[in-house]
Amino acid sequence: MINQKKHFWPPSDPAVVRTELINNTKKGGSTLRTIVVSLVLLSLLIMVGIIGKVIIDGNDQTQWGYVAAILAFILSATGGAPMVAIAPLIAKASWARPISRIAHIIGSVSIVNIIIMIPILRMLPPLIVDGTRRRSIWFEAPNYSPHFWDTLGLIMLAITGMALLYSSSIPDFAVMRDSSDGIRKKIGKILSRGFIGTTVQWSKLRMRIGILSTLYFFVLVFVHFIISVDLSMSMVPGWKDAIYPMYHTMSGIQGGVASVIILSWIVRKYGKNQNYITINQFWALGRIMFATSLMWIYFFYSAFIVFWYGRSESDAAWLDLLIRGPMMYVFIIAMLCSFIIPWWWLIWNRVRNSFNGPFIGAIIVLIGLLLDRIRLYVPSWSVNPKLIHDKWLTEIPKILYPDIWDVMIFIGSISLVFLIIIGLSRILPLIGVWEIHQLNLLSKPGKFMKAHGIRVAKPD
Amino acid sequence: MSKSILGLFLDPNSAADAMDGLKESGFEQGSFDVLTGTPYPEGAFGEHVPQHRLFRFPAFGAIIGFSASLFLTSATQLAYPLITGGKPILSIFAMLIIMYEMTMLSAVIFSVIGIIFESRLPNIHPSAYDPRITEGYIGVVISVEDKDLNKAKAVFEKTGSEEVKVV
Amino acid sequence: MQQRKSVTQEYTNSVLLNGTLETPKWWPYLVSILSFFVLVGIGLFFVQIYYGLGVTGLSRPVYWGLYITTFVFWVGISHAGIMISAILRLTQAEWRRPVTRAAEILTIFSLLTALVFPLIHAGRTWRIIYWLLPFDFARGIWPNIRSPLFMDPIAIGTYLTGSTLFLFVALIPDLAVLRDRTTGLRKGFYTILAMGWRGNPRQWKMQVVGGILLSALMLPIFVSVHSIVSWDFAVTIGVEGWHSTIFAPYFVIGAVHSGVSAVVTMMALMRWGWGWNDFIRPEHFDALARLLTVVATAWLGFTFLELLFSLYGLDAPEIALREMQIFQYPWNMLFLLFLLTGFIIPVPMWLFKRVRTNIALMFWSSIMVNIGMWLERFLIIVPGLSRKTPFVFTWESYTPSWFEWYILFWSFCWVTLLMLLFSKVFPLVPLFEQKESEVFSDSVKIGRANVPTIFREEEE
Repeated sequence: MINQKKHFWPPSDPAVVRTELINNTKKGGSTLRTIVVSLVLLSLLIMVGIIGKVIIDGNDQTQWGYVAAILAFILSATGGAPMVAIAPLIAKASWARPISRIAHIIGSVSIVNIIIMIPILRMLPPLIVDGTRRRSIWFEAPNYSPHFWDTLGLIMLAITGMALLYSSSIPDFAVMRDSSDGIRKKIGKILSRGFIGTTVQWSKLRMRIGILSTLYFFVLVFVHFIISVDLSMSMVPGWKDAIYPMYHTMSGIQGGVASVIILSWIVRKYGKNQNYITINQFWALGRIMFATSLMWIYFFYSAFIVFWYGRSESDAAWLDLLIRGPMMYVFIIAMLCSFIIPWWWLIWNRVRNSFNGPFIGAIIVLIGLLLDRIRLYVPSWSVNPKLIHDKWLTEIPKILYPDIWDVMIFIGSISLVFLIIIGLSRILPLIGVWEIHQLNLLSKPGKFMKAHGIRVAKPD
Repeated sequence: MSKSILGLFLDPNSAADAMDGLKESGFEQGSFDVLTGTPYPEGAFGEHVPQHRLFRFPAFGAIIGFSASLFLTSATQLAYPLITGGKPILSIFAMLIIMYEMTMLSAVIFSVIGIIFESRLPNIHPSAYDPRITEGYIGVVISVEDKDLNKAKAVFEKTGSEEVKVV
Repeated sequence: MQQRKSVTQEYTNSVLLNGTLETPKWWPYLVSILSFFVLVGIGLFFVQIYYGLGVTGLSRPVYWGLYITTFVFWVGISHAGIMISAILRLTQAEWRRPVTRAAEILTIFSLLTALVFPLIHAGRTWRIIYWLLPFDFARGIWPNIRSPLFMDPIAIGTYLTGSTLFLFVALIPDLAVLRDRTTGLRKGFYTILAMGWRGNPRQWKMQVVGGILLSALMLPIFVSVHSIVSWDFAVTIGVEGWHSTIFAPYFVIGAVHSGVSAVVTMMALMRWGWGWNDFIRPEHFDALARLLTVVATAWLGFTFLELLFSLYGLDAPEIALREMQIFQYPWNMLFLLFLLTGFIIPVPMWLFKRVRTNIALMFWSSIMVNIGMWLERFLIIVPGLSRKTPFVFTWESYTPSWFEWYILFWSFCWVTLLMLLFSKVFPLVPLFEQKESEVFSDSVKIGRANVPTIFREEEE
């Protein structure tokens, strides 16, 4: 039944929405300052970790698996987030309006990936090893194609993510220009670029968001494709798995949804936004995460069953390396956290229809994602580089534990992600002012005779 | 003797008024019901919102399907152990596919049984009904004792029903 | 864009039951012609049983030919129903309403047809009982559950049973409408099937909740069916080009592509045949074409991955196979035709709104897609088999005999005939869904614009 206590809706007065959300960017105080200072210090650990690792293991490719895994994890956990805003936009569903800013902000932290990519560029073997080409998706392309295109892909993703965030914030910059003072007014004035909300400006803006969203999706798929193949599959002789890039993308979207849930939960709880981010968002996000968890097992099983049945030497080597090999326990926990637990947890209506249920599920999913990336990338990198031209893998590497530098890079990059998000939230409201206006315009709680519900407008 | 009365309404709002009127006249919530030709939002007529246990059916079905398929797939293999393709006799990953299908099949079958049961179908004791209900009229139906017949009729007439039928 | 006009329930009944309570002029002629062709086909089947599979073009090493291609094709078409009715129901897409029933029926009849093909293909059809059922108690021989050829009928059987029950549940309210509008023997028939439906809130609630529940249950089945069909091919290592991990999702997305196109074809025919212009409107074709554009693009991506990763392994036989498939006559012509009809011609057409809302153009482009999708299956199955592999001693090409072509033609006649017979007994467009949409939708004025709205109940 309808739980009236849970029922919140954004205030219908535009002025109230404006002041409340803009004021959120100014709130903070000493707690926030402490958090920011410690995040800055922790972020520096990336540099320490990378320099330390280069000095100690700079010539040993097999030691760099964890760094690649961290790159893949950050990419997967943040890159997919804007899809949460993009998909409902295409389906003309307005429930996602209050959280689409959060999704865009998470998607714009790709700069962290580029930082981690720098040392990997040094360690990634070229296409021509010992005078012979290794197996890759680049076939006859120039020698350092993976290095070039992977970096370019990450840069493109970062730029598109930023552009998407910027475009979808222009009306809010205009609001800042008009209703705040000091530095925020100046920033608003520069960044709103004369946006005053004419019909032409709105329609241009909608079109720009639409185009950037589509572009973002394609760039995201492209980046997952090349990163997954160049940084793991092609490092292993005989690993040929056509679904793997899609699996990577899919679990990336699952991770993105989880990140959006976590950030929304924090913003709602600690940003005092109970009226804006309501149960509707969590309910829908929980459903999407449930669906992506099912997709995870589907894509995994599609690959697994083919290898399991095939039983050729390369099929068996795949199973030995990635499933029952050095990372067997990591794989089992990853499977539990990416599919089994979220599935059994989110299948309950009562869990999805709550704030903490999807939140807990999201944390579990992200743990699963991290472990899944570890079980994929670490064994791939620790394969003996001399074997790279073999038809299939004959020598399964031993289990490899992370060293102190890996841990530093991991902590540093996570801190940097949070630092960027907090930094952006000081400039931009974490809940889009114009998105809330739009939501209020297009849907409102209403009655049908004696039944309660929501009237949703469906403009073309 | 109990009778069943049907009031036919063209306007959904008058049907809702009739429901209110019956409630005010002291009839029990469960004794009257609204009949429509199309789903209305739940509680639109201020009617008693039906409770259901539909979701137990697929869960039960899934358990049955899962156990039956586990038994079938393992027992048939054990009864005639034939190694094919170098795979173990109890190949769990092949069995999983069949178990999955049979679990889902059984869950679907039980859900359909559940839907029919929870709709209280088949309904072999029809009370008052009118074919015009599937044409857009709203029917309010109540089963009353003879003594209350006129009280109920009065409610229908007051709220502007097109026709009142007594069976 | 919304061409919906307000209609009364009485009008809905009278128009949508015009194929059931009355007989369109063309109906008896078409049914007679189709019945003739169907009977000829059945006769030919007995001829084939008498003379054996020699009447077909099948011979070593191509032992899977046109029959199996057509089997996969019809399983693909069957993915229309659940795609439309389950996914669109779960995402609350309003435009699904007139499409659902027809799509579900198409699912059921195309599955029935698909099931017939392995029976025809088997030659000695009656022996299939040993393959399928745990039947031979006397000798203690049981089906081999490790064979995908056994999983296949299980999956298709599940899907067929599930879809039929799903269809029946959603048919009950419409059966009540028919019961109220017929007399005599027909009334008795509908009375029994409607089981005393009255339309009280409990029954309607079960329709809505049950519809969502069944959709959620059918969706995983729908995905599994074509995946298992794809594993008929993918789990073997004996045939080049088949042992690919992408096959399961690739087949599913291809099936959705062809299935939704078949729904478009059918909707156009329904609009023309029965004159349901008020219910099947250009906006529905527009929405379906948008969906198809997304699906087709995803499908093209999977096609690309499939081709790319077949070359990725740099195995000489695999590369030779692809060369034959793409560059050698006659396969190159088929491949070109497949790409043109499957994607290159229809999808750019659908980018234009004028095409999307033009019913004749949508009709022809959707037929084109299905030609392409049939060729896709043919190009996957036959070239791989016709090349010499380690396990065969001969290689030869394959030309289907006229016999096989007729059976292919027969299958189209058969499905159409079943649909026409169905339409005489049950309504092809769900009446109550139409009426529900009529009740729940409304319009609000935002400024001066009239925007259509829909009422959403609060979820439990």
